[in-house]
Amino acid sequence: MTRPRPALIGHRARFTLSCYGLLLVPLALLTLFVYVPVMWAFTKSLFQFEVGGASRFIGLDNYVEFITRDPTTIPSFLNMLFLTLFAVCTRLSIPLILAKLIHALASERARYFYRVLFLIPVLVPGVAVQLIWAGMIYRDRGMLNEALRAVGLDTLVTGWLSDPSTALVAVAFVGFPFVGGFEVLIYYAGLSSIPQSVTEAAAIEGCVGLQKFFRIDIPMVLSQLKLILILTIIGGVQGFQGIFIMTRGGPGFKTTVPGLWMYFNAFSFQRMGYACAIGVCLFAVIFGLTILNMRYFKSTEELVGRR
Amino acid sequence: MGFLRHVFRWLSLALIALAGAWLLWPARDGEAASARRDGRDAANRAEARHVITLSPGSAYLPGAVPFGVGQPLVGLAAVIRDFEKRFPDTRVEIINVPGVREYIVTQLSSGRAPDIINVNVEDVWTDVQKGWYVPLDAYLEAPNPFIREKGDPTAPGYHQWWDMFKYQAISRGKAAPDGRNYCISFDMVETAIFYNKDIFAKVGVSVPTTWEQWLDDMAKLEAAGYTPLLMSIYAFNDWCVDLIFDQLYYAVLPGIDLLQDPTREKYLEGYLDWDELCFLYRQGFFTPRDPRYAELWRHMRALRKYCNRNLANIDTDREFVTQQGAMYWTACPLTYRLMADKELGFEWGVFYLPRFTTATSEFASETEMCVIGGAGMQYEVTNSAYNDTGDPATSEKLERVIALLQFMTVPEHYERIVNEYPCFLPNVVGVPVLPSLEPFEAILERRYTTTKWIFTFDLRFSEIQQRMLELYLNDGIALDAFLEWQEANLEAATQNLLARKNVDMARLEREWDRRAPLRADTRGLPYD
Repeated sequence: MTRPRPALIGHRARFTLSCYGLLLVPLALLTLFVYVPVMWAFTKSLFQFEVGGASRFIGLDNYVEFITRDPTTIPSFLNMLFLTLFAVCTRLSIPLILAKLIHALASERARYFYRVLFLIPVLVPGVAVQLIWAGMIYRDRGMLNEALRAVGLDTLVTGWLSDPSTALVAVAFVGFPFVGGFEVLIYYAGLSSIPQSVTEAAAIEGCVGLQKFFRIDIPMVLSQLKLILILTIIGGVQGFQGIFIMTRGGPGFKTTVPGLWMYFNAFSFQRMGYACAIGVCLFAVIFGLTILNMRYFKSTEELVGRR
Repeated sequence: MGFLRHVFRWLSLALIALAGAWLLWPARDGEAASARRDGRDAANRAEARHVITLSPGSAYLPGAVPFGVGQPLVGLAAVIRDFEKRFPDTRVEIINVPGVREYIVTQLSSGRAPDIINVNVEDVWTDVQKGWYVPLDAYLEAPNPFIREKGDPTAPGYHQWWDMFKYQAISRGKAAPDGRNYCISFDMVETAIFYNKDIFAKVGVSVPTTWEQWLDDMAKLEAAGYTPLLMSIYAFNDWCVDLIFDQLYYAVLPGIDLLQDPTREKYLEGYLDWDELCFLYRQGFFTPRDPRYAELWRHMRALRKYCNRNLANIDTDREFVTQQGAMYWTACPLTYRLMADKELGFEWGVFYLPRFTTATSEFASETEMCVIGGAGMQYEVTNSAYNDTGDPATSEKLERVIALLQFMTVPEHYERIVNEYPCFLPNVVGVPVLPSLEPFEAILERRYTTTKWIFTFDLRFSEIQQRMLELYLNDGIALDAFLEWQEANLEAATQNLLARKNVDMARLEREWDRRAPLRADTRGLPYD
């Protein structure tokens, strides 16, 4: 009986090497399509660079202008902060409550039905939603103003997106009643993964209803909350397309966010170097907030691990 | 039951696969379909030596249904088919380029823009130094070969292509400040106040002759429950600024219009170009210290009171046809929308904005309102047009691109395009104006505006002006604060312009001194 010849490289090592080899391809593509453009943007942020024109090295002037001299910087960051906080509040709370309500339903068929019902609006493109809000709800003779007129509140009728005192809130309220189907599903998955033994133990201890929701359910879905929080912050800092469609950041700069100003500088004013500087600043903001989030917002697994 | 489920599952999969294959199947594009119609096969067309891409603008886009009413447009497609028959080695592709400057700039910078595009030429002026556009003077000063071949030396175009254009002053006035012409002013557009005659009669108001009467009429219309005037923020920022500016500054022009260009002056008489505006700004004009400038914005806010609540993002056409608005300041293409609407339940007419009087402002020039319209479709030839050789001097394709434009302006071809429906006024000699557009032709006879603010400086200036103007008009900012924003905006725009262009400030200074006597008795100058 011959003994099998020992392999030059063990099976485990071969597998590991294969993994590294296979990872090289996506890594190379990622470098080419993501890291190189990011580095290019950072480099160009140090230049006065106009589309189709010559570029001139100006060091940190673009950053200095954006941070100290551009009159739009402070209002746009405040707008971004407001919109992001609003989105965080709505996306962390309302879908979680809905997920809990669906999860509490006794019938599996009913749970499935509600999950599908809340998910369907996700299929409507965001642009369409924004156009509907701008064209049907916030119009001069739109649903909101007509409803106010119908109940005799004519004094409250206004141009919701034109009025400087309402424009930002009007933009924030697009998507009302904020029943994000995506978030509902994520939270529902989290609630479904709570072990039965935990639920039963809580019941034996008399922890039911709201008490259970706050003391058992929320701590057990912290991982999901953390994920939604990070995604909402990133979306809030980067996103501007809805504002572009509805108000273009106006009136004045009442609804402008830094991302939108970056877009205008890049493609309308042709100040590509300056736009790159804004982009790098936004990257720094997102990076910083994500680090803070990772450091101070612990997921369920991290909390369990720490105990 | 199990078998049925099995069959159902496989059928579903097959259906999904079929649907996916159908979606991924290459679409038969318009050119292939067109080739079949013409009895030529797609392979022959693909062998065309020159492929010209033309972005004609939505007004003439083949297949488009203007305002969603009536029949699809066919005029331009028919003319192009004739051109392709004449030049079998050339294929013309129509491209619907979005009217978004951001898109066009990226296309131009990468050399991928259509060979012929439709852009407001003032936008082009800011980029001419980048080599994105082809100067057309040499072609315009040469004969139009399609007229020449007819052999009639008296026909416009026989000696110079230029001669074919009806609105000579406007067309030549589109020359860039570098003296060269980068566009063909294909047709003309004019604005007016469209008004609902039924509402006017019901409320008891008439077409106004002065600005005060107009404001009084609007107060009555508002009291009757109508939106007196429909206007967008773009109309405020573009047309309204320039018209009121002209009313307030026209009388002082002799003292401040420092440079006259004989080639442009016939149409742009008294026009303040960017170098003049920069210089005047440095003299204190257009700042909070300039009383005329402050008054300009005050009058706009007074007018805004009578307009739709939402200045942005509003379907003003719809508000007008549904009789929620009594008047609508817009351009002549709306004529077709109103004429073609079989269910339009009212009589309508047009009038032009009434003039300021001294009762309106102590600075009123007491002159009739100037024209704000002018060239409609403005066709520029881009750097893509000579991408066969990379050199405009040797490019055969560029010659063919110019030939297409020349072909399109031959009267019998031109009429098929421009007079297919009442939209724009013809700018080719011998092509009649459609009767419904005659009122606009009369308006276009007026004097041209003194300046066009949003097309004079860079786009950052225009964007900030529009934003802050919208804020000011909606009571979100006081006049003083608005003027401070404008001053900072103008300062940045002036610096940018002086850095990019060679502005001879010494010459302007000399002219300024020379004209001092003309300003001696003028009230309300900023240095008073």
